[in-house]
Amino acid sequence: MTPSPEPASELRGAFRSAAKAGDTHRAIRAARELLHPGHHLSFLVREIAKAAEWDPPLTPIKVALLSSFSIEFAEPALVAQGFLNGLAVKIYRPGFSQFRQQILDSTSGLYAFEPNVVILAVEGSDWAPTLYRGFSDGSEVQMEACVGQVLEEGRALLTTLRRHSGATVLVHNFALPQWLELGILDGHVDRGQAGWVRQVNDGLAAVCRETTGVYVVDYAGLVARVGATSWYDERMRLYARAPIAAGRLGQLAGEHMKYCRALLGLSKKCVVVDLDNTLWGGVLGEDGPHGIRLGSEYPGNAYVTFQQELLNLTRRGVILAIASKNNPADVDEVFARNRNMVLKREHFSSLQIHWGPKSESVRAIARQLNIGLEHMVFVDDNPVECEEVASALPMVRTICLPRQPEAYVTALLEEGLFDTLALSAEDLRRGDLYRQRDQAEALRAASGSLEEFYRSLKMEVTIAPVTMASLARAAQLTQKTNQFNVTTLRYAEADLRTRMRAPEWVLATVGVRDRFGDNGIVGVLMASPNDGALEIDTLLLSCRVIGRCVETAMLAFLCGEAARRGLREVRGRIVPTSKNPPVRDLFAQHGFERVAERDSGETSWSLPLARGGVMWPAWMKVTVVDETAPVA
Amino acid sequence: MESQLKQIMADVLDLSPQAVDESTTRDRIASWDSLNHIQLVLALEQAFQVSFDINEIEAMLSYADIRQVLNGKLHPSAS
Repeated sequence: MTPSPEPASELRGAFRSAAKAGDTHRAIRAARELLHPGHHLSFLVREIAKAAEWDPPLTPIKVALLSSFSIEFAEPALVAQGFLNGLAVKIYRPGFSQFRQQILDSTSGLYAFEPNVVILAVEGSDWAPTLYRGFSDGSEVQMEACVGQVLEEGRALLTTLRRHSGATVLVHNFALPQWLELGILDGHVDRGQAGWVRQVNDGLAAVCRETTGVYVVDYAGLVARVGATSWYDERMRLYARAPIAAGRLGQLAGEHMKYCRALLGLSKKCVVVDLDNTLWGGVLGEDGPHGIRLGSEYPGNAYVTFQQELLNLTRRGVILAIASKNNPADVDEVFARNRNMVLKREHFSSLQIHWGPKSESVRAIARQLNIGLEHMVFVDDNPVECEEVASALPMVRTICLPRQPEAYVTALLEEGLFDTLALSAEDLRRGDLYRQRDQAEALRAASGSLEEFYRSLKMEVTIAPVTMASLARAAQLTQKTNQFNVTTLRYAEADLRTRMRAPEWVLATVGVRDRFGDNGIVGVLMASPNDGALEIDTLLLSCRVIGRCVETAMLAFLCGEAARRGLREVRGRIVPTSKNPPVRDLFAQHGFERVAERDSGETSWSLPLARGGVMWPAWMKVTVVDETAPVA
Repeated sequence: MESQLKQIMADVLDLSPQAVDESTTRDRIASWDSLNHIQLVLALEQAFQVSFDINEIEAMLSYADIRQVLNGKLHPSAS
């Protein structure tokens, strides 16, 4: 299949115009898109070199590539990956297998180049051939000698290099042979081939630790992560001494970039995450704190895994924050009640939960935590939100999550954006410090009473008869509301339609608006007269509005209806289920008297109107749509 | 396919896509050295999701050669 050239040429145009304007951030965004398919490398590298000036300016970095193979094919990827990180990469590369001479000769081109970073990329099969070829023929003494010789030479080279250069040195360790000579037997003999390679790698890591500014690159881990069979191109190894497949060179450069970012202080410090379909599946406002997908089954377990990785980041000193369009009370409810949440409220140093633009949220978080925007990562599943943040705050790294939650972890971690080369005690405590600051600010902000909080919500509650237009929503609410539901009776639309024809039935929907927006229809009431009382058949409320006294308004409305019909009392039942503890105290809290209790646990409650009924809450505006009014 | 092929050759060999035509041969283009030849092969493989064997790589001596090899890969039944 031939790839279509149109989007690519558009992207190329976007890159060219950004580069011409010297707009670094815009150019980086276009370059990231172009690099994805992989074959625009030559174009990118040349265009990057052409641009005269960049704003903000690129950070120059000089990289020497020393290797035992033809590593020149890796150069364009390194330049392009460097550009994505705001770096102007200049490369020095002597001929392959020149690494020893270059290091030992103090007048070599390597030292004249004055590199900032020296990458020593030597394949194990080149430096420790005995471990890789003819292994099954060799003796243990030979293997031991080979390992010793590599480590001794490595130590000598690094010492010499350090004497002549202050450059940071990145030393590749050795990948396992693709095919072990003993096959599956390797793990069962006394000292297998894989064991020897691991031993030389352990030694190499120890040697690197001896010299400051020398770090091991876990090349073996990289090859294993990608898979040796797709990492190597045997054809090009034999034909051009270029063993690494062209399609993998970007990943190799990406691995090197992790070190460069860490060395230059470009590691990211803060992740700002969205909530709905990011930390959990589903929409909190729709599904409620317990209806969201989070738990032991797919897709809930994918979100649990993602949360665990975010938690791991906090242990490395990365700060977590939330930018979500939700009702804060709903989010509090999730933190307080949903036991499947791996991340707790205290893991987040800053929360921006409102309906304003997310770029504003990210900016506010940066300000509050005193972190530069260039150290922030924004993570959201919604491309529109990502685009909004990316265009308003191009210096923030925006990760637009893929559609499948199982791919979230890779999307978050694959670039190693948070990687550092040292972990200080302060790093480990950083999250705590920020959290304390945030809590103090939150307390100051919330110094008022609960009633003030209710007032601040500016709630408008509308109680209206069920109409043909609201019928479907009312039935749906009876079907899916579990928590704040006194009887948990499920109804189909047809059931409700039958009741609509019976004039004695009170059938009402409850809509709630607040200063954050319109929640739509979130409650249903059904009651009918029986023996001088108005008997509640259904009283339910969506989780997103519980804890705000909407239920008080609903009971006040029913008292009014009972009085209008000349009834003497309002009666209700609580049918306990595993999910409805939040509603259990409803009647007791509103002055009802318990009149009966069954063996099943079901309780019956009564409120004689002579006692004054239930008062309307003062802090919300309630509109009761008259039953006799024509329905618009 | 042809316009994309020209684009990739132009990218790797630092030519303008319009300059790539039947007269574009390895011995006439100074930038088409052995290193760039490999770069070109690798870029083509990624762009067209194909793989060339060494004999094919060595037989690619001109734009026309490459087009022919590529056509054979992309439309195996047509030839």
